[in-house]
Amino acid sequence: MGYIKDERPTTMMVGGSWNIGAYKYKANGLLDEYLEGLKEKKLIGSMCMGCGKVIVPPRLVCGRCHREMTERVVVSDKGTVTTFVVSPPIEKGKVKAMGMDAVELGLFTEGEVIMPAYVQFDGADCNLNLLILDADPKDVCVGMRVEAVWAENPVGALSDIEGVRPIPMECGGLDENQKKG
Amino acid sequence: MRKKSRHVAVVGCGQTKHSSRRRDVTLPEMVSQAVFAALEDAKIDPGEVDAFMVGNMQGFGGVAQPEQWIGDWIGASDKPVIRIATGGTTGGSVGQAAYYAAASGLYDVVVGTAWEKHSDSAEPGATTGLMHVGLANVFYALTKGFSLKNVMTASVAGAAAGVAVYQARFYMNRSGCKIEHLDAVAAKCRRNAAKNPYAHLQWPGCTPEDIAATELIAYPFRYGHVCPASDGASAIVVASEDFVRRRCEKPVWIKGLASYTDEENNLQAENWSGVGVLDPSEQMGCRVSAMKAYEMAGIKNPREEIDVAEIYQPFPSQELIFAERCGLFDPGTAWRAVESGDIEIEGKMPLDPSGGVNATNAIGSSALQRILEAALQVRGDAGEHQVPKKVKNAIATGWGGNTNYITFTVLGDEPGPRRW
Repeated sequence: MGYIKDERPTTMMVGGSWNIGAYKYKANGLLDEYLEGLKEKKLIGSMCMGCGKVIVPPRLVCGRCHREMTERVVVSDKGTVTTFVVSPPIEKGKVKAMGMDAVELGLFTEGEVIMPAYVQFDGADCNLNLLILDADPKDVCVGMRVEAVWAENPVGALSDIEGVRPIPMECGGLDENQKKG
Repeated sequence: MRKKSRHVAVVGCGQTKHSSRRRDVTLPEMVSQAVFAALEDAKIDPGEVDAFMVGNMQGFGGVAQPEQWIGDWIGASDKPVIRIATGGTTGGSVGQAAYYAAASGLYDVVVGTAWEKHSDSAEPGATTGLMHVGLANVFYALTKGFSLKNVMTASVAGAAAGVAVYQARFYMNRSGCKIEHLDAVAAKCRRNAAKNPYAHLQWPGCTPEDIAATELIAYPFRYGHVCPASDGASAIVVASEDFVRRRCEKPVWIKGLASYTDEENNLQAENWSGVGVLDPSEQMGCRVSAMKAYEMAGIKNPREEIDVAEIYQPFPSQELIFAERCGLFDPGTAWRAVESGDIEIEGKMPLDPSGGVNATNAIGSSALQRILEAALQVRGDAGEHQVPKKVKNAIATGWGGNTNYITFTVLGDEPGPRRW
């Protein structure tokens, strides 16, 4: 079957590496409009005049109607958690990216539990992926009301939104099932 | 008058043993194992093959153009070789391309082969491969203040598993499915895989409790829920109806097929724009593909007419999500079939009797393997994991792209109702 040679039961190991960092991509620059908004603690999206969908950050063409999304709207910085993840307590050596360790870099502390979530801001028809801050994992649920946590001095960078935190007055009224959600 | 397409059948199936490290073979050797197994199965001489459709994940294992090596290893010298890469759906696209090549009348016998050799890279998923999926976008965001902490946050949820874990909670929240159901699905996949000699994660007698005892990665996913990174290859031989009539004893007809996409589901579109799909478990591409393929296959009531489904499900939640999208269950109810045992090999609607992608994931190959396993079920040649009933129709799906591409194939013991 095939051309497997009997005299060579295993393959040779040949090491090698590949620098993947040398590219130049073209970006359309729409994100700059969004970043300008962040400077003023505003979330800017684009609206489709065909279906009325509002997408944040702005998008050039509507995914469903294929119309150019020329209108700009500001959506609320309050929204709803549509889905979320609760990490196990973070341990050194377990969270790595690009060969670096998150705990060693001081980005997370040992034992910290983080909760990345999808948040639908009021007026938007899409989710943004943000961390839920200042909340007990036990209290977090789908449908929870949250507001953006802004950097003290926004500079027009994606990191101007540090995450979201629960709005206590709007959190009640969920039954047990929703909490487990 | 427009000429009609020809009926096409799967006439040969071959695959390699899957494991985490196939150090005994090089990439071309591994692919040739699958191709020659399929040709032997079809009783077709390599010289009779007219064309080859081949594919794996783009750049995985650090090899961007693996087809440059495998050509002469699979007997493709002097023959058309088309390389296809569509992410997780690659194998499905390869299988469907083989169909089109034969249905068009251009070729009589076409081999479709797909593979992955994860272990050739030091990292699972292979930096050179997985990073390329969205590299431009990530670099762009990094220049716009997307911090290292954001990158680390993404890696907590974990690349593809991260997409699926969000998707799982969407599904569970709207359907009432619980983590215990995911445990049961994963256990079923391990048990089924134990009956499939080619599968990777085999665990005879695995129980939901065994899975529940594994470490929680990020709720609702446990270690025991997640698919492995496998080395392996699969291949099918398809042939046109004229050739089948002359030469083949056990054809499995490709009755209907479709491959539709939705808009990107995965948070950030090109240029870091937002995406318009709020619920990534909606999978509208699968719904549309299923409807189109059923129409082509003359399937009116999939719940009655489909006897077994090979669903692309790296994660147990996806077996349920996609089974519903394929029209096999009402929306939000597939988890009830987990409780009733309907999805077991001997159940009313067996899902992934082979163990599926959840037990074996050589990514490029996975969606082709679904077509292959569905064909074996129709032939009655699946061995220990053969479903104990007459299989007239089986379906095979694939899921890939930016979590929005779908391939959907209906196979059966008779040709479809008409030529197209």
